[in-house]
Amino acid sequence: MNSQAVLEFARGPFFYFALLFMLFGLAFRLFSVISLGWSRDRVSPMGSKTKGVVVTFLKAFLIWPFIPWVKNTFNRNPLIYIGGGLFHLSLFVVIILGTPHMLVWKSLIGFGWATLPLPIVDWMSAIGIIAMVILLINRRIHPVLKLISGPAEFFAWLFVFLPMLTGYMMTHHIGGSYEALYARHMITVDVLMIWIPLSRISHFVFYFFSRAIHGQEFGKRGVAV
Amino acid sequence: MPEETIKKNLVDKGVSRRDFLKLSGLLAAAMGMQLPPLQESGLPMSLGTPVRGAQTEHAILHALETKMRLPVIWLEFQDCTGCTEAVSRSVSPSLTNLVLNTLTIEYHETLSAAAGYQVEQAKQEAMKKYAGQYILVVEGSIPLANDGAYCVIGGRTALEHLKEAASGAAAIIAVGNCAAYGGLPKAKPNPTDAKGVWEIITDKPVVNISGCPAIPEATTGTIAHFAIFGTLPELDNLNRPKTFYGKTVHDRCLRRPFYEAGKFALSFDDEGAREGHCLYKLGCKGPTTYNACASIKWDQGLSFPVQSGHPCLGCSEPNFWDGGGFYQGQSAPLDRPTVAAVGAAVGAGAALGIGAALVNQSRKKAKKGGS
Repeated sequence: MNSQAVLEFARGPFFYFALLFMLFGLAFRLFSVISLGWSRDRVSPMGSKTKGVVVTFLKAFLIWPFIPWVKNTFNRNPLIYIGGGLFHLSLFVVIILGTPHMLVWKSLIGFGWATLPLPIVDWMSAIGIIAMVILLINRRIHPVLKLISGPAEFFAWLFVFLPMLTGYMMTHHIGGSYEALYARHMITVDVLMIWIPLSRISHFVFYFFSRAIHGQEFGKRGVAV
Repeated sequence: MPEETIKKNLVDKGVSRRDFLKLSGLLAAAMGMQLPPLQESGLPMSLGTPVRGAQTEHAILHALETKMRLPVIWLEFQDCTGCTEAVSRSVSPSLTNLVLNTLTIEYHETLSAAAGYQVEQAKQEAMKKYAGQYILVVEGSIPLANDGAYCVIGGRTALEHLKEAASGAAAIIAVGNCAAYGGLPKAKPNPTDAKGVWEIITDKPVVNISGCPAIPEATTGTIAHFAIFGTLPELDNLNRPKTFYGKTVHDRCLRRPFYEAGKFALSFDDEGAREGHCLYKLGCKGPTTYNACASIKWDQGLSFPVQSGHPCLGCSEPNFWDGGGFYQGQSAPLDRPTVAAVGAAVGAGAALGIGAALVNQSRKKAKKGGS
């Protein structure tokens, strides 16, 4: 089987299956949690829960990332905060603002958007890859992280790292013909998509729900009298 | 009459010594022949002993002077004759002339003056006379469905013609994507069960000169290579000569700097298109297409599709008709799930999720009630 045939499989039926499996799995996990329900207010809260949700998201995206030093999460372990932050920023830039990835979105949802020049996306992906390596080393040497890290954590790291690495290699034509590199990238992406609902990487969906729940709790501000 | 040398045939036709030398140089260039190491290094030639035969065109010259003319049999099956058209209008008249006139095309349906039984008989005679020596050029795919009934010539199927001609061939050159990988006839749902030559003939060397049409210089250059050296050029994993198919269209594209700079045409009539920006977002398949379009170009090196404003369709790659939309981004998945398929997946996941939650709740209640 030549690289072209592998690529056709990875871009065709395998991607198709992986995408539907991911959507199925995420829907299953999300609804199995949401359907359990949550506690209702026994008395009317003083503040607005909706406002609480809005404020918590605004703080999370527009305030704390720019003044991280006011938070204990940053001060107690700046490496994880900066490394993790850069890694997530890198993912966002590459997956949303990289031209080839935008075209994937366009083909799936029907519309596209302006993208960043290749060198910027390229540097961001390199930063993301370096951040992941540093975070892995930290996980292996940090006394507490070492204790709470099991196979699930390392698999999650690996399945996210491989698409990033193969994508970078593909952009720079390192390690084979373009279609061989492309095939490798697509296979790792397909595997990641299958792994997402089976693992904690699904937090990119759950995060918004849990943050909303916390936000409305913050918004209550006691009991109305 | 293949018994005479190529040079003698040319001289008889009135080709001058000067034109003969030019042709030798052209052939060396067309076949991508490497210069001797000293010349390639850029060092002054006085450092080495200038050997007349060491120069590539002299190697060609010597071969043309001594080699016998090469008989060629050209078969056409499920094709559009586009590759023949391309060769007959090649940018290198002397190269085309060499292949069409000098190398002795013994049989070619489109170019033969004769027709019907006479020409079929001439083919039979040629195959007998030059058994084991001739080059078989195939244009068009071979249908296997319904016992090959979809392509019958002179009462015999394409498969029979191919097997018969291939048995006595020294080598086979499949010209065009159809003959190489099935091409358009093989596109889904492939009603005729079309196949490329190398899927059928496995006991002979098969060179694929893919493309739609194949670049004429690649066709004639490969035939000339065999005529002159008696061997086939170095091939890639899809049996294409590396000389012509060693680099992608993207590698040699004149719009490549715009790709690197992130400057793309977003439609065929926007500012980017007018400025000559990269056509990647309009579905250009250049990055995965191995062909010499961007370097040899077409019409005497005038232009090629990407230069004239159209994205590469990837016509030298297998299954290019089914390789995603022509105007869909190269990175896009080949199959886009329908809304119904996505809805079914999400719906099934949601239903099972709610079911799991209800089971958990009832278990919890039962536990509470029981304790």
